[in-house]
Amino acid sequence: MSQAISISNLVKTFGSTRALDGLDLEVSTGEVHGFLGPNGAGKTVTIRILLGLLRADSGHAVLLDGDPWVDAVELHRRLAYVPGDVNLWPNLSGGEVIDLLSRLRGGVDAARRDELIERLVLDPRKKCRTYSKGNRQKVALVAALSSHVELLVLDEPTSGLDPLMESVFQEFILEAKAEGRTVLLSSHILAEVEKLCDRVTIIRQGRTVQRGTLAELRHLTRTSITAGTERPVEGLDTLAGVHDVGVDDGHVSFDVDGAELDGAVRHLTQFGIRSLVSQPPTLEELFLRHYGDDVVVGDDDAVDAP
Amino acid sequence: MTAAPRHGSTLTGTAQLLRLVLRRDRVRMVIWVVAVVSLVALSAASVVGLYDTAESLASYANLVRDNAAMIVQSGPGHGLDDPTVGAVLINEMSIWSVIAVALMSIFMVTRHTRTEEETGRSELVRAAPVGRHAAATAAMTGVLIANVAMAVGVTISLIVFDLPVAGSIAFGGALIGAGMMFASVALVAGQVASSARAANGSAAAVLGVAFALRAAGDVGDGRLSWLSPIGWAQAVRAYADERWWVLLLPVVASIGLIVTADSLTSRRDLGAGLIAQRPGPAHAGPRLSSAVGLAARLHRGSIIGWSTGLAAVGFFYGVVAVEAESLLTDNPEMADFFAQLGEGTLTDAFVATAALMLGLVASGYTVSAVLRLRGEETDGRVESVLSAPVARRTWMGGHLLVALVGSVLVIGAGGLAMGLGFALASGDAGELLRVLGATVTMVPAMLVLGGLAAALFGVLPRWALVAWAGLAVAAVVGLLAELIGLPNWMRDISPFTHLPALPAAPFEVLPLVMLTAVAAALAAIGLAGLQRRDLT
Ligand SMILES: Nc1ncnc2c1ncn2[C@@H]1O[C@H](COP(=O)(O)OP(=O)(O)OP(=O)(O)O)[C@@H](O)[C@H]1O
Ligand SMILES: [Mg+2]
Repeated sequence: MSQAISISNLVKTFGSTRALDGLDLEVSTGEVHGFLGPNGAGKTVTIRILLGLLRADSGHAVLLDGDPWVDAVELHRRLAYVPGDVNLWPNLSGGEVIDLLSRLRGGVDAARRDELIERLVLDPRKKCRTYSKGNRQKVALVAALSSHVELLVLDEPTSGLDPLMESVFQEFILEAKAEGRTVLLSSHILAEVEKLCDRVTIIRQGRTVQRGTLAELRHLTRTSITAGTERPVEGLDTLAGVHDVGVDDGHVSFDVDGAELDGAVRHLTQFGIRSLVSQPPTLEELFLRHYGDDVVVGDDDAVDAP
Repeated sequence: MTAAPRHGSTLTGTAQLLRLVLRRDRVRMVIWVVAVVSLVALSAASVVGLYDTAESLASYANLVRDNAAMIVQSGPGHGLDDPTVGAVLINEMSIWSVIAVALMSIFMVTRHTRTEEETGRSELVRAAPVGRHAAATAAMTGVLIANVAMAVGVTISLIVFDLPVAGSIAFGGALIGAGMMFASVALVAGQVASSARAANGSAAAVLGVAFALRAAGDVGDGRLSWLSPIGWAQAVRAYADERWWVLLLPVVASIGLIVTADSLTSRRDLGAGLIAQRPGPAHAGPRLSSAVGLAARLHRGSIIGWSTGLAAVGFFYGVVAVEAESLLTDNPEMADFFAQLGEGTLTDAFVATAALMLGLVASGYTVSAVLRLRGEETDGRVESVLSAPVARRTWMGGHLLVALVGSVLVIGAGGLAMGLGFALASGDAGELLRVLGATVTMVPAMLVLGGLAAALFGVLPRWALVAWAGLAVAAVVGLLAELIGLPNWMRDISPFTHLPALPAAPFEVLPLVMLTAVAAALAAIGLAGLQRRDLT
């Protein structure tokens, strides 16, 4: 089994809202997969379909070689989930909820539980109604991470954590990865995604717009180049993939698509390069490009990893 | 730019919040008002038709006036010494219409104050330029509007049936007074209790105490009735030489309660009750290890609360039931009346009625317990359970099982206390089991109402609250069928109609089996529906 999650052409509508509109998602076993997209893109809906809480209208979804709807109970023995909005029973204590959820999944690993509680600095005696948002999230994280499951499904698990706890969380995920577990991580925190994820899938309006490794995605976006040349540069704007050319006495600056970088630099060498500064796209730029309205649909699968 | 006045009004924003209250409650309010007004109109039509001669009025008065059991159920019977149609009508319907307006007011206030805090919505509102008192004022004004609408409807329909204008207005005023009084009680309860559920529960408990106080007062020398807001509503003496000043009592008391609620507000934090949260255990006990265990834990508090309430009501009825017999001897007319009803003594008939009352109240537990499923779903807690290896039917079945056991416990507590009260008052311990049996017989009918809630939850989750309409119908059929002259086919809608009226009537197994089967079928429909649908 090499795919932990395999979704193709998934459609889910709520009345007239098309929440998912032909979504594709492939998560290989053992990888940490980032699941990104602007608000309302359909990440949570996808996850809820994977958990068998919602039923898809059409398309295929395979989770750990099973059907998320039909085999829900069996599959849930092998996964743990942290919801984006953690809602707990107001009159139970955090410790009770952790034990309950672990027992439902087959048993408490007391040592692991206590370690997690200590590292996340959580007071398990408090009633859930009195927890802050971040602390509620910690309860759900401890419950999920203390079980020895092969797949972790995390929907914005750190949206309420402080930076210190956020880095503790990252340690947990790296440990889980080292243990060979698979993680599906939906997140808006790009630094977290960059640090943890092997590959990412970006969705928008219920469709997959990009997927691949971060390096591959970077390759797809533009690099900014500023160069000083011996002779004035000519003909640059006729090259494919070159944008926003600006010439200013001996210096030229432009943006170039990752795929055309080689050609652009070759072109520059004809004019004698004296200095060259290249700026790779920041992660923010990369995502803003995909989140914004100017996405050319059809980019799909351009860097589909083999 | 000048700074905003430091002492901006604490009422800033009330108008907007009031609009929100009315917008959110427009359907509920209309349902309550229309239901109560039409029941009053039906009662008036029926009473006016039935008691059209002096003889019929006199025989009604004879039947009711000295009967403790009847007085407990309806009121002091002002004006029955020289009976008029109006006095008869008030005796028949004032108690339940006051209870209805009280319940509407309690639920509405809690919904717009404590529940708003619990869900965190009031944070959003408080963060806006909204005065400290705006939310409570908007809620109370909304309730006032609902109460006035109901009272105006009631008054007009009474006048339409040719009842005296003054009495009709007095009764309408009494309803507003009772409604606002219990709205204020709920406002205070919302400050003291630690959750919306507890706030509703304690306000309802005050209503129960008010009922008991006036019952004891009306049966006795009448003094205790003056401690009860329900007693005040009846002390207005609509159609029996109205005492207008009594209408001031709920006004003064409500103002007192509102001031109390306000001073409590400043002593507690948003979302917290006055009763502080104690820390819980760091580890879960052994029972909290399955979906059923969780359900049992979640229902525990409400089972205890409802059982306590039912036990109090039951004990009270048990003690009073003994009185019913004592009047039989010196009131031959009443003996005839009950002889017509069938075999059994007057006491038996009273016990049967009391058991039905307990059954109806206990059904409130059953329905609310089943509807907890919907709460778990809409509040997003079900995800945590169902993302573990727990089947949907296990989750729902667990809650249904606990609701079933809870229903037996709640009605059992009521029956046991009633039997105990009866045994103590009569000195005959043998009565305990008979009385207990009569109440526990209610269980299959309660389960049908619970089954209805389960079926709605599974198949039409957005309409799950309609299950309360099932209980409302059962209550109307059970308590008002005679009064408003419901046709038989309509009475048959209520599951309680089909129960043998123990101990007045002989025991029959078949209806109990049939009702249980209907309840099981409804639950199965609900389970099958849940299996198929999205959880949102
Ligand atoms: N139960 C529902 N009924 C109707 N529409 C829904 C429902 N659940 C989700 N949607 C809609 O589906 C779309 C996708 O929502 P989803 O919650 O998956 O977004 P998301 O990607 O998780 O966003 P966020 O980053 O804000 O969490 C939204 O337009 C949302 O309004
Ligand atoms: Mg989401």
